Amino acid sequence: MSFLARSIAGPMIWAVTFSVVYALHGAGCALGWDGVVAGPVSLQRAALVGSWALGLIAGAALLQRLPASGGMRAGLPRAGAWTGLVATLFTLFPVLVTSSCDAARAPAIHLFTPA
Amino acid sequence: MTDATIGAAAGTGAAAGEIAANAPQRALGLHRELDRAWANAPGWRGQITAVSHTTLGLRFMATALVFFAIGGILAMLIRAQLATPEGAFLDTEIYNQIFTMHGSIMMFLFAIPMLEGLAIYMLPKILGTRDLAFPRLTALGYWCYLFGGLILIFALLGGVAPHDGWFMYTPLSGANYSPGVNADVWLLGVTFVEISALAAAVEITVTILRQRAPGMKLTEMPLFAWYMLGTSVMMLVGFPPLILASVLLEIERAFGWPFFEVARGGDPLLWQHLFWLFGHPEVYIIFLPAAGALSTIIPVMCRTTILGYGAIVAAIVALVFLSFGLWVHHMFTVGIPHMALAFFSAASVLVAVPTAVQVFAWIGTMWKGRPEMHLPMYHVMGFFLTFVMGGLTGVMLAIVPFNWQAHDTHFVVAHLHYVLIGGFVFPMMAAAAYWMPQITGRARIKGLGETAFWTILIGFHGTFFLMHLTGLMGMPRRIDVYPDNPEWIWLNLTSSLFGFVMTIGFALFALDLVLQAWLGPRSPRDPWRAPGLDWAMRLPPPSYNFASLPGPGRLDGGAQAAQGLARGEGLLPGAPRGRREVLVTGVGSARPEFVAILPGNTALPLGLAGAIGVFVLMMLSGLYWLTLPALALVAALIWVWARGMARGRDAAPVEVAPGLTLPVHTHRQDTLGRTGAVCLLLADGTLFAALLFGVGFLSVVALGWPPPELTGDPELGAGLIAGLVAGLGLGVVAVRLGLRAQGRGGAVLPAAAGLLANLVALACLGWLAAAVLDDPTRHARDALRGVLTGYVGLHALIAAGMAAFALDQARRGEIVGARAGCLPAWRLWQDFAAVTALIAGAILLAQGAGG
Amino acid sequence: MVLLLAGCDGPLSTLAPAGPAAGDIALLWWGMLIGSAAITLLVGVLLALSFGPPRVRPARYWTHGWGLGFSLVVLTTVLVAGLWVGERILPRDDGAVEVRAHAYQWGWRFAQPDAEGGMVETDDTLYIPAGRPVDVIVTAEDVIHAFWVPQLAGKVDAIPGRRNLLRIEADRPGTHEGLCAEFCGLGHAAMRFELVAYDADAPPDALADAPPAEEFADD
Ligand code: HEM
Ligand SMILES: [Cu+2]
Ligand SMILES: [Cu+2]
Repeated sequence: MSFLARSIAGPMIWAVTFSVVYALHGAGCALGWDGVVAGPVSLQRAALVGSWALGLIAGAALLQRLPASGGMRAGLPRAGAWTGLVATLFTLFPVLVTSSCDAARAPAIHLFTPA
Repeated sequence: MTDATIGAAAGTGAAAGEIAANAPQRALGLHRELDRAWANAPGWRGQITAVSHTTLGLRFMATALVFFAIGGILAMLIRAQLATPEGAFLDTEIYNQIFTMHGSIMMFLFAIPMLEGLAIYMLPKILGTRDLAFPRLTALGYWCYLFGGLILIFALLGGVAPHDGWFMYTPLSGANYSPGVNADVWLLGVTFVEISALAAAVEITVTILRQRAPGMKLTEMPLFAWYMLGTSVMMLVGFPPLILASVLLEIERAFGWPFFEVARGGDPLLWQHLFWLFGHPEVYIIFLPAAGALSTIIPVMCRTTILGYGAIVAAIVALVFLSFGLWVHHMFTVGIPHMALAFFSAASVLVAVPTAVQVFAWIGTMWKGRPEMHLPMYHVMGFFLTFVMGGLTGVMLAIVPFNWQAHDTHFVVAHLHYVLIGGFVFPMMAAAAYWMPQITGRARIKGLGETAFWTILIGFHGTFFLMHLTGLMGMPRRIDVYPDNPEWIWLNLTSSLFGFVMTIGFALFALDLVLQAWLGPRSPRDPWRAPGLDWAMRLPPPSYNFASLPGPGRLDGGAQAAQGLARGEGLLPGAPRGRREVLVTGVGSARPEFVAILPGNTALPLGLAGAIGVFVLMMLSGLYWLTLPALALVAALIWVWARGMARGRDAAPVEVAPGLTLPVHTHRQDTLGRTGAVCLLLADGTLFAALLFGVGFLSVVALGWPPPELTGDPELGAGLIAGLVAGLGLGVVAVRLGLRAQGRGGAVLPAAAGLLANLVALACLGWLAAAVLDDPTRHARDALRGVLTGYVGLHALIAAGMAAFALDQARRGEIVGARAGCLPAWRLWQDFAAVTALIAGAILLAQGAGG
Repeated sequence: MVLLLAGCDGPLSTLAPAGPAAGDIALLWWGMLIGSAAITLLVGVLLALSFGPPRVRPARYWTHGWGLGFSLVVLTTVLVAGLWVGERILPRDDGAVEVRAHAYQWGWRFAQPDAEGGMVETDDTLYIPAGRPVDVIVTAEDVIHAFWVPQLAGKVDAIPGRRNLLRIEADRPGTHEGLCAEFCGLGHAAMRFELVAYDADAPPDALADAPPAEEFADD
């Protein structure tokens, strides 16, 4: 892989994960997945958390594989990998805590609702 | 010398760092020789045939300043209207046109062209080359910008300017609610201007990747180049969604194909997604070049080097990506579920991190050095104060609940001006103060610039600081009167008064520029004692920038490097062959690979832009049939354009430095043109992806689905789609056969076969459209099928044109030996056309080939 | 301070909240304002200090310490606070009163329950019981508009073909002003309405006099 390609690999992982999760969220809401039970949670949440986790694993794997030292030719790809990983973590953690679809239909998360 | 030995020479002699210096010559003799090859033609002809990046960069910036003045006058009209609750003097229709035009002019006719102009002017000088990769494209971009802008301005003068706000939300901008020509002016005019953005983006990318001075590694190139690389890639990916959206809306308005109309299966939210998919990155497209200027200016003003080069580059990469994941923050109130909002809220918040990294790197640079308060530094301080506040209100707006309150109020108006004026206008003023001596060769007249700065700073904050409160007190944007809200009067009146102060400041600033260019005393060669190749030349810069090109060991530039370069000690000295020659280097290695010959002065770009203009005007006047001759003219001129690149004879290799002889670009496949084609296909691919997003979005989200049954014959449909894909696939094979037969000059037959295959594909497509596809005005699904087919058809048509061009070249004997003619470009295009056709065909089949 | 707050008052002011959602958001705003003022001041001080003699700090002190560390801490705090408030003010399945707001060029048609619980229709005035959560179903006739009563809650767009939901609640009986926030053409500035929060035990006469609500166009 060329230097530039390695440098954008991390952000690319974020971009793909972000797009996939967002698309799945829209599709899931349209198809009523939040009403389908999959174990302890809805199918919707399972699908979202699952793809988020895949993205995190991919990001971590990339970070693992990049050499740790060697000036900017190694530094930029590493910074890119960190960017991707942190961005995936930060921008998609709401899959864990927020209400998924049309809130009036979703079961209320009582953690948030005023008593 | 045979081709083999040329290749060997390029491979061995060029290792960076071991290029010998050329013997010095008389600088004046070199200058005369170069100027004959590079200068614009004399007189007015020179103005319309110029392709020089120096001329065009300056012209871009000057034109952008004129549009800034027009936009500023409109802003003053807005402020005058809002100064009192009854508004008094503008009626609502005119007011709506004025704020729409203010926003559109500032974004599309001022900010973007301004940054393009700066990049076009500066980049070759900073990178150590003589011009951009595609000089005629620079000129084409300029004319498209000028003509598109003029259309908008004439519409304003004629009272038929766009009036739906700068983001043109449907259905308000649709045919039912905006029946006049106003919305068409926006859609067609802005898209016309966008051609220049794409042209500039392609050029800038290629120039940065391939025309850096030998030895200037990516990891060591000036930060401004990194910023512009990020910007131009963002433009390649960011503009296509807007272009697609504009085309779709124009088709809906002109021909009634529904994409955004709910009753027939469209969705107004599709417009919003596509618009903001462009619109948010746009803000960063505007900010990054400004930040590039800051990263250049701050270290010089503090007599030190930039702190955290690597961190800043990483921040640029992060910004380029993250800024594509924020667009929904403009749509927090459209009724999207909270989780999806949360993704975009988090991304919008996160994007502040790379921005903070840069801001603190700049502050660290200032700590490291000794800041000197020259005029550019005043504007840098204005930037810090204003932009930090704008960034903080940006974070507030990224917080969903707060956004629900502040959205569409004057709070947002305040925020966006803090960001745009703080993050773009102040840095640009710093850049102007910094580079004016470089541009004009003159020093400024003391005092005026500082007065202008203070007037602008005070005027700006006086106008916009209290406007946050105006918004929080409930004043929505885009209203012309507020008779029932006396509590907003003092706020608005204050804003208006200071608005006029700010205008006086900008007038002083403009006066300062004019006086400096006209009356300023001679500037010393290195007024700031800055490093950088942009100062390693005579001031004002000669038409060719460098008499000989800087190489390893001369890259720190500064004025000390100027003399040796002017005497021809660098690479590729003079223009002994009377041609415009530049060096092309490897993307990663920065080693010189070959010499590219650039085209000279020509009026062709003007003609082509004029032909496109005729097309636009015919669309505007509703004379749709007359667009066809205009398109034919466009195609013919493009053919002529391409002929200008063809070369019938072998060009001898060129001695670049003692012991280093390089081939000329016609003997290479990895030409600048090829890199440019890759960039263009990146943009084209994004457009296609945006179209696929539209198909997916409407199929899943829109109401009014499922659509009515298809009525075409399914077997015929499937057959024709198969024929279409097969035809394009055969083209893919043909072009490869052509490349294989290139050496012995046997490309005639493959090219003919390729032409035939593409024509067969086109025939299948025409048949499909005529006999199988349903009336596109029936439902959004059918309209999208029509657009997919049209997209494939256009690409097949161009592929056929390229095959025909190759056939013509092969017949003339221009494809032989090491010369591949247009075959590499055709191969890229044919592959792309085939792949997109395959995808589009699969979608058509999945929707059902017929009834 | 009192003077400042008085200056922020007004029938459309988000800083004079009269309901739980607007109250939460106003609190969020004051918090963010204080934080932002502190950060602006901080940057100003750092800039001012740079004018002394050169001081060497390792690059990471700036890019990683301030750039990454400091900003991530601040931003995470704000984000979590925002998501928290966001979840609190969402409409939920808890038996809230349902009313409808239908926007057209250029005016509002409302449907709300009267004393008997049947839906009645009014023009440009919306009646809701005070002290109870109300879900507004927001729809549009022609182009995009937006429903906004700044003293009670944020806004939500009225989009042709969609039914958007907004939760509002008024703490006390009283009158509040509302407006269309999304630009919708010539009549946008005048597209105002009134919201009357009444004592739930004493519905106003206007409701009893209002005609029964017809179905809206998109039903
Ligand atoms: C010269 C000083 C300027 C003043 C006094 C000014 C004033 C205003 C005002 C009052 C509005 C709100 C109109 C409304 O909502 O009713 C506005 C909108 C806007 N301004 Fe400016 N502006 C100035 C410069 C700029 C600059 C430099 C830019 C961009 C680079 C810009 C971009 C915009 C945009 C995009 C809008 C939104 C237009 C819309 O709502 O469609 N402005 N301006
Ligand atoms: Cu944005
Ligand atoms: Cu409105």
